[in-house]
This record gives sequence, C-alpha cells and structure tokens, in this order.
Amino acid sequence: MLQPELVIGVSLLYILLLFIIAAWADKRQASGRSVVANPHIYSLSIAVFATAWTYYGSVGKAATTGLDYLLIYLGPSLTAFSWWFMLRKTVRICRENNITSIADFIGSRYGKSQRLGGLVTLIAVLGIMPYIALQLKAVSTSFEILCGQPHVSIPLPGGGDVPVGSSALAAGILALFAVLFGARRLSSTERHEGLVAAIALESVVKLCAFLVVGIYVTFFLFDGFHDIFGRMAAAYPERLDHLTTLGDPGEVSYASIFSMLAISMGAIMLLPRQFHIMVIENADERHIRKAMWLFPAYLFLINLFVMPIALAGILFTDSGAGADFYLLSLPLKAGHPWLALLAFLGGFSAAAGMVMVESIAVSTMLLDHLLMPLLVRIAPNGWFPGLFLNLKRCGIVLVVFLGYLYLNVVADKYMLVNMGIISFVAAAQFAPAFIGGLYWRRGNKSGALVGMSLGFILWFYTLLLPSLIQSGWWKSRLLEEGLFGIPLLRPTALFGLEEFDLNTHAVFWTLLFNLGGYLIFSILMPQGEREQEPAEKFVNVFKPREEESWERKRFSKPVTIIQFADLMAKFVGDEQANSAIAAYLGNREIDKNGRVSEFELPTLKRFIEKTLAGAVGAAAAGAIVESYLSDIGSRMESFYDVFRTVRTSLEESRESLYFRLRASEIMSRTLDLQIIIDDLLELIRTDFGFNLVLVRLATAGGVLKVRGFRGIDIRKITRTDWVAAVDTYVGEAFLTNKIQFENDVNHATKQVSRDLMETAGVRSFAHIPIARQGESPIGILSVFSQDIVGLFTEDFLKLLASLAGQLAQAVTIVFEMEARERERKAKEQALLENARVLRDMEIAKQIQRSLLPTTPPNLPGLQIAGSCLPAAHVGGDYFDYFLREDDTLDVVIADVSGHNVGAALIMTETRSVLRAHVQQAVYPGELMRRLNEVLYEDLSRSELFISMFYVSYTFESSLLRYANAGHNRPLLLKREETECSDLDAEGLILGVLPDVTFEEKTVQLGPGDLLLLYTDGIIESQNSSGEFFGIQRLSRTLKLRRDDTPDAIISALFEDLDEFLGDAPPDDDITLVALKLAKN
Amino acid sequence: MWPQLKQLLLTRLRFRESWILFFVFGLIMMNYPFISIFNKPTQLFQIPILYLYLQVGWAVSIFVIWLFNKANNEDDRDGAPKEGP
Repeated sequence: MLQPELVIGVSLLYILLLFIIAAWADKRQASGRSVVANPHIYSLSIAVFATAWTYYGSVGKAATTGLDYLLIYLGPSLTAFSWWFMLRKTVRICRENNITSIADFIGSRYGKSQRLGGLVTLIAVLGIMPYIALQLKAVSTSFEILCGQPHVSIPLPGGGDVPVGSSALAAGILALFAVLFGARRLSSTERHEGLVAAIALESVVKLCAFLVVGIYVTFFLFDGFHDIFGRMAAAYPERLDHLTTLGDPGEVSYASIFSMLAISMGAIMLLPRQFHIMVIENADERHIRKAMWLFPAYLFLINLFVMPIALAGILFTDSGAGADFYLLSLPLKAGHPWLALLAFLGGFSAAAGMVMVESIAVSTMLLDHLLMPLLVRIAPNGWFPGLFLNLKRCGIVLVVFLGYLYLNVVADKYMLVNMGIISFVAAAQFAPAFIGGLYWRRGNKSGALVGMSLGFILWFYTLLLPSLIQSGWWKSRLLEEGLFGIPLLRPTALFGLEEFDLNTHAVFWTLLFNLGGYLIFSILMPQGEREQEPAEKFVNVFKPREEESWERKRFSKPVTIIQFADLMAKFVGDEQANSAIAAYLGNREIDKNGRVSEFELPTLKRFIEKTLAGAVGAAAAGAIVESYLSDIGSRMESFYDVFRTVRTSLEESRESLYFRLRASEIMSRTLDLQIIIDDLLELIRTDFGFNLVLVRLATAGGVLKVRGFRGIDIRKITRTDWVAAVDTYVGEAFLTNKIQFENDVNHATKQVSRDLMETAGVRSFAHIPIARQGESPIGILSVFSQDIVGLFTEDFLKLLASLAGQLAQAVTIVFEMEARERERKAKEQALLENARVLRDMEIAKQIQRSLLPTTPPNLPGLQIAGSCLPAAHVGGDYFDYFLREDDTLDVVIADVSGHNVGAALIMTETRSVLRAHVQQAVYPGELMRRLNEVLYEDLSRSELFISMFYVSYTFESSLLRYANAGHNRPLLLKREETECSDLDAEGLILGVLPDVTFEEKTVQLGPGDLLLLYTDGIIESQNSSGEFFGIQRLSRTLKLRRDDTPDAIISALFEDLDEFLGDAPPDDDITLVALKLAKN
Repeated sequence: MWPQLKQLLLTRLRFRESWILFFVFGLIMMNYPFISIFNKPTQLFQIPILYLYLQVGWAVSIFVIWLFNKANNEDDRDGAPKEGP
C-alpha cells in the first residue's frame, strides 16, 4: 500500500509537467514554430481514444468474456483504410467552413440548422455521461486499490479533516484541469496546440506504463507468452477455451462481434473528442497518412499484453474478481508498489486525457449550439467575450459533473467496458447523418433530424434506461413488463427481439431506425433552399471550383465595414476583430463611405461568419450575422432572376450562351449600324424585360448622343444628349470605362441622375460602356427598369458588358469601314486629278516642244543645232533661231527660273514677245532692253526671272553681236586656238529692274569657229557622288569633237552627261545650242 | 523480377479501389463465417489459435496500410496528382 499523500503528490507533479509542456507548446505555436504540427504528435494525440477503459477495462474484459475486448480496437484500426478519403475530406470541409465540433459539422451540413446542432449536442452530453463516469471510476478505484482507502482526508484550516471521496476528488481535479487547458482564454481559432501536446505526452506515458507492467508480468512473473498460456491451459483448460474463443451463446455471439466492430468503427471519428482531435486539431492533411498506420500500431502495442496480464491475474487470484485492475493488483501482490504507482499514472493519464478533451469538446458544443441560439437574442454587448469564456468553463464543469452523477447512480454495478459501450452506441447515432452528409448530396435536414431523434430515443430507451434500472437506482418493472405493460415494448427485447445481448440489441434497433428515418425522410422531404449550398460544398469539397460560386443574394441595405467590425468585436474582442478585418481587407477597394463593392459584401459577410464561427460555432455565427442585419434594417435578398427559370449553373451558362449567340447573329447579319443597334436593343429589352434600353454613341466633341432606343419613350432620357461628366452615372461610366449601376435608385448618390430616375419612375438601372477590350469607350449602353429592384447580379452585368463589347466591335468595324470607304474615294479622286494634270502636262509639253525649233535653218557656211532636255514634263528653258531679212541669224537661249508650268508659260510669253520684236531690226542689246521692259511686269508679278543670251550673226561680215542678261557665258572655240574662251557682256537678268541697259559686244568669227550656248542645267548636273559636271568637261568634249558637226557635238555632250550621271536623272532642264562656221 | 513486382504492387495500391477492397476484406475476415474457421479451442505453439489469428492479422493489416502509405508517398514524389474522392 502507498500513502495517499504520495499518490496525490505524484499525480499533481505529473499534472504540473503536463502544464509546462502545454505552455511550451502554446508559446511555440504563438511564435510560429509549432512542435505539435507533425504526424507523430498527431498520431499520439489520436490515441486519446485509448482511455482508462482501454487501460484497465480491456484486461477486465479479457479476463471475463475473452477475446472480444480486441474488437473495440480492431474496428478503429480497420477504419484507418478509409482515413485518406473520409477523414481527409472531413478535415478539408471543416477547415473551409471553420467548423468547431461534430455538432457544428452536422448542423452546418444541413443548412446551418440550429436544431440539428442542438440535437447532436444533447446526444453528446447525455451519451458521454457514462464514459466520463467510467474514467472517474477508474481513477478512484485505482486510487483505492493503491492506497487501500476510498477517501482522502483533506485537512481544514480550522483543524480536523474532511473526508472526500476519491471519485469526487478525481472529478474536481480533472474538471479544473480541463478548464485550465481548454478555456483559459477565449480564442477565435479552434486549434489548441498546448492541449494537443499534453495529450500526446499522456499517450506516451500510458503506453509506456502499460508496456512496462506488461513486460514485467509476462517476462518476470512468468516466462513469456507460452508460459502463461501453458500454465493457464494446465490450470483452467475450460476457462482458457472460453476466453480464447468467441460465440458462446448469450455472451459473445457473432452478431455481437459485428455490432462491436461497427460501433467502435463509428466511435473513432464520431465521439466528440475524437472528432476534435482528429479533425479540428489537425494541422495538416498530410499528417493523416502517417497516422493511418501509426495509430493502429499504437493500439496494437497497447493491447499486446492485455491477454497475458488477464491470464496472469486469473492464475494469481484464482478467480476473475477485480479483473479490471489486475494492472495495479499484480505489481502490488508481487511487492512492487512503485510499479503499481507507474501503472496508476498511466491510468490517470488515460483518464485525464479523455476527460479533458471530451469535456472541452462537449462544452464547446454546449455553448455553440444550446446556449448561443438563446444568447444571440439579446443584443450583443461588450461583456460578451467574458460571458462566453465563463459559460465555456461552466460547460466543462457540467460535463464532468454529469459523469460524476452517473457514476454515483449507476456505475458501481457495471464493468468499465459496458459503461463505455453505452457511450459508443450514442456516438454511433451520428453516423448516418455524418456519412450521408459527406457522400450523399440528397441527404437532408428532415432526414437527419428524424433519424437522429429516433436513434437517440431508442438509445435512451434500450440502453441508458436499462442501465439505470439494472443498477437499482430506479426501481421499476419496466424491463420485465415493458412500457404500459406491453411485453413487446420491453427495453431489452423490443418488439420481441430476444436473441441479442443488450448492446447488440440496442445497436440494431437504434441504427435501423436512425438510418431508416434518415433515408426515408431525405427522399420524401424536399431539401431546403439553405441546405443546397452546403450540401454541394460538403459532398464536392475536393472538386476544384473554377470560380467562386455566383452569389445569388444581395443586401437590401449596404453595410459598412465599421459596422461589421463592431459586431465582431462584441464576440471576439476588439483586438482580434480589428486584426481579422485588416487581414481580410488587404488590398481590396473601399469607397469613401467605408464600403466595399456590392458584390464584395456577401463575401465579407461570409468572412465575418467564418471568423465568428471560430468563437461561437458556424451555425451560431450565421444566426448572429442574420440577426444583426435585421437589426440594422438590412437583409439578404435574392437577386431578380433575369432568366426566369430555376437552373443549375451549367444550364445558366447555356442560357446566357444562347443569348450571346443571338446577339452575335444580329451583329453579323448586316453592316448597317442603325439596324444592328435597334435589333440588339430589342433583343435585350424583350429577353430581360427592361422598360427602356438605349444606346448613346460619343460624337467627336465628346457628347453622348442617343443613337437608338427601345421600350417606353421616356422623353427626358431618350431626348437628352449628355456631355460626359462625372455628375451623372452615364458620364461616370463613359469617363471611367466602368459599369455604373444602381440596384435600387433609392441608394443612388448622384443627385442629377437620381432626380431624373425618380421623375421617370425608374427603380434600377445600369450604364455599360461600349468599349472594346483595353480601349476607351465609344458610347454607353443603358438599361432601365421601372418594376424590378435588384436586377443586376455580377454575372448579369458581365453578360451585358460582354454584349456591349460585341457592340463596340460592330460599331468600330462599321466606323472603320466607313472611314476606309471615304479614304478610298478621296484616293480615287486624287488619282483622277493626277491623271488629268499629267495629261495636261503632256499636252503642255507637246506644245512647248512644238514651240522650240525642230530643225535648224539650212544656211550656207553655217551649221547649227539645238536641243532641249526638260527635267520635268514642261520646262523653263528656251532657245530659238531667227533668220532676219537683213542677212543675219539671231540665236537666243534663255532659262526661266524654275521648271514648272509657270516657267513654261513665261517662256511662251517670252517667245511671243521676242518674235514680235525680232523683225524690228534692232541689235541684241536694245532688243533685250525692250524685252525686259515688256516682260518686267509679268515677271515681277509671278516672281520669276529670265536669264538670256542673245547672239546675232551677220553672214557677210562674220561678225557676231551679242548681249547677255545674266546667262551662262557661251563657249567659243576658235579654229586656231586650243582653248575655249567665253563670251561675256554686262547685263542684269530680266525681270529684276524695269529699265536696264545691256552691254552689247561683238566678236569676229572665222571659218571653223565653234560656239556653244548652254543653260546651267548641264554644268550643274550632279552625279551620285555629289560632283558637278562643270565647264571643264564641257570644253574638253568641245575640243575633242571640234571637227564634228554641231549635231554630233550635242549628241556627244548628252552621251557624256549620261555617262557622268549614271542612274541619277538630271534635275534641271538642259538646253544646248551649237553653232559652227564652215571651214572655208 | 522483384523490383518489377514491387513497382506493380505499389502502383496498384494507389488506386482508391484497393483501399476499399482491403477494408471490405478486413471486415469479412473479422466476421462470421470467416472467423469461425479460427474460432476453435486449439492451440498453435501453445497459443490459442484465434488469439494468434487476430493479433497476426492485425499486424499484417498495419503493414498493409504502411505499404499503402509508401505507395502514395512515391506517388507524391512522382509529382502525379493526388487522388481525391
């Protein structure tokens, strides 16, 4: 025997250790370096499944009924095969919906049903009672065995001792322990890493303790497994056979094997604490993988020595008495109290872990699903967070207390295992609604409610009630006579089913009615509107969603962010609320009123609900937000359904696709913009039931001009052209290239538009910019409704915007085509004009050519040749010969500045004037003076000048008179000379001054003398390398060809020029006149 | 031979059907009538045969899950998409 003080002291030290570990883990979590987030800790924490029942009860069961103790562990072990699908799916769903408990899960799955959540909580609270009682009993009994007394004397300050029952003490310590771990502070996150760390440590302790005792018993007290089984076979052969086979009638039938397997398979995930640890506390889905074999391995190890210890106990005690606590009594009997203390600590760990997690999980459910629906009816207040925390603490204490109550009423008569099974069967009632909720989309709230209620009632009637009666607490003959004395209603043989044992009987009836009710009502009753979305989300949680599902609701009155933040602060405290809102907003756009866009609001609402869910559960969070909205006069309204049909999103897109198709048809049918606009407006109006639709296109001056409308002719709208400005919605839409719309004109903020809409009786409207992707708008498509508020959903506006985009495309194409047509016509005109000018020029050229002498006069003793090569079609160069009556030949060469039509005209005039004066027998100087006099006015008016060289050759005397009006000096090559000389005389170019005298010079020519008159075109010709032809080349050719005829000389000069220029065309008129006296 | 067989086995274990198969298989092995084969008062190496059967079967099932786990880990390493229900 050990001293009670020692046992209590060691236990408290152990608890202190757990606290240190938990605090450390919490600290690490806060600093982001979690010690808990790994698959090993996760697997160990799941081992909270192994409670005092496993620890003590398995041995007890093994020693009394035999191998069926294993079934409770084989079942969960087998479910591990499904974890990667079922558990992972559950974890994913809970994470995405901020679910906090199994009640929350089932409630949320079936349309955030408060009633369902409440029912689950009720079942959990009552169902878990025997289980908690079991732990308390285990701790107190083990204490009793260890210390030999059922009481602890607690010294009072005033002297004297108060004896406290060990079970009451255990309940007190464990409740305190759970409060400290699970409800120290209010948290909006549902993961408690400190708790998980403590649980994991406890799992290690209980496993080690069990293994140590097991090894001691098997290998030290006995000689291994063979020895124990051998001795047992020798001492109690019949008993061994009984314990190691199944199927004894009345005790362990094959049916009971099946039912035990089934309920243990359900329990591993559905017990509130298992759900909490496996799902809510899961840090990473990938941890599940390792836990899938680590957890069964843990169960395997902790069960390895159960049978040997049980048999050893029987051999030692010669009976099955006190079999539940062989783990303690064997070491004690063998004289190893310290080993017994270790075993006690292991058992204490197992019990404490279970009570902690279970009570925390159940009290969360209590708060979220039973109290919160009541609390949200009172207006939220600043002291709410504190209230929640204290309520949660009370919930924990209540759960433990209920267990204690049950223990005192019932449990002394029951074995540990049997008490546990009552709880398992209660948890199994969640199975149909849970599994159906995961995989069956049609499973609905009515089914879940009916099924679970039936299951719960039957559980109470066939299992809990008999346990109360059999314990003798309630003296009743119900078990023998049945309800109202009807034998068919006997709780343990309902409807005359007597073949089964108590548990199997209960499992059969509860699950039959539960599953049946769930299936039948799910099929019979319709699924509520609120249920459809979560059903879809739960069942298809792994299906990748292309985009966030279209929000079908809108707020009738917009809510500001501040309002939401205030609401949150009332439940989770200011600090958490503000940081959550800040994190949510991130870089979202907020307008000056502190609002997000209308389409953003539902998302914000969902976020608020999710955050609140961390503190109060998802179902309550939904109710809180709903009631808050109704308080401020806003509510969620359905958008008006533009397609007027109920459809799934697939069909939805089909309808809008069909609409787009028809719009495209309209736009491709014709190129007449007016027809396109009118037809399109008609389509929009009739399909969506607008009262007025219209299109404005921007003019070059930025005025939005109505191009067409359909519907009621509201003259104020249809006859008004707007200058785009931000004081109207239409202007804003045009300037910002963003859709402007108002689902309810009463909320419109632009006064001009609002007044107009109100007088026009419009209730909702939208202006959609007609613009191509990435371009500025060219107009506005406006739609107005006088009947419907809340017409514009995000997807509907998207549809209209895409339509406007198509229209923009069509308008642009038409505009571009028109512009191209105009351009083409202009070009055609220009070409025509050009052709005409060319033809005229050609004619002018012909005329000009004809004005130049074609053949030189045939004169004895003088050869003469001339040629003109105009650069353009017509030119300003001119040469002529006049054979006068007084036996002289006059030769003139002139160059009008420029070589265009003007120059050509002046040249023609010059020729006429010259011809008129030539016959008056004056000398060149005088002739030029007169010419200047006559032409001056015309020349100065047209800003043109003429350079001219005039020679007059007298045959008789061979004397050459000449005068120069600023022209290039002709080259003279005398027969006897080798170099060219040039003729020069003073004279200003014609057209500069009205009265000019020209110097007249003479030169005596002899036979063979050669004279070349030229215009500057030839010497100023430039080749591609920028070199001028120059006088040098001219005179060189002249010298080389001095014996040739003037014709040949001119040809040679042109050839030289061609050669010199290469490909470059001459850029000025070139005129050459050569004069050669015969040699004799 | 063995590496190929191993590869084949690991590939097959990635199928969701394999998991369900093993689950159902385990359920059958633990229930009537299958379990009645071992439900006899005989001993093997002095250890009752049903006890041995359940313990060994359990260990084997844990090994199988471990194999599954390995198969799917390799799956991850290949960069192949994870199977989801």
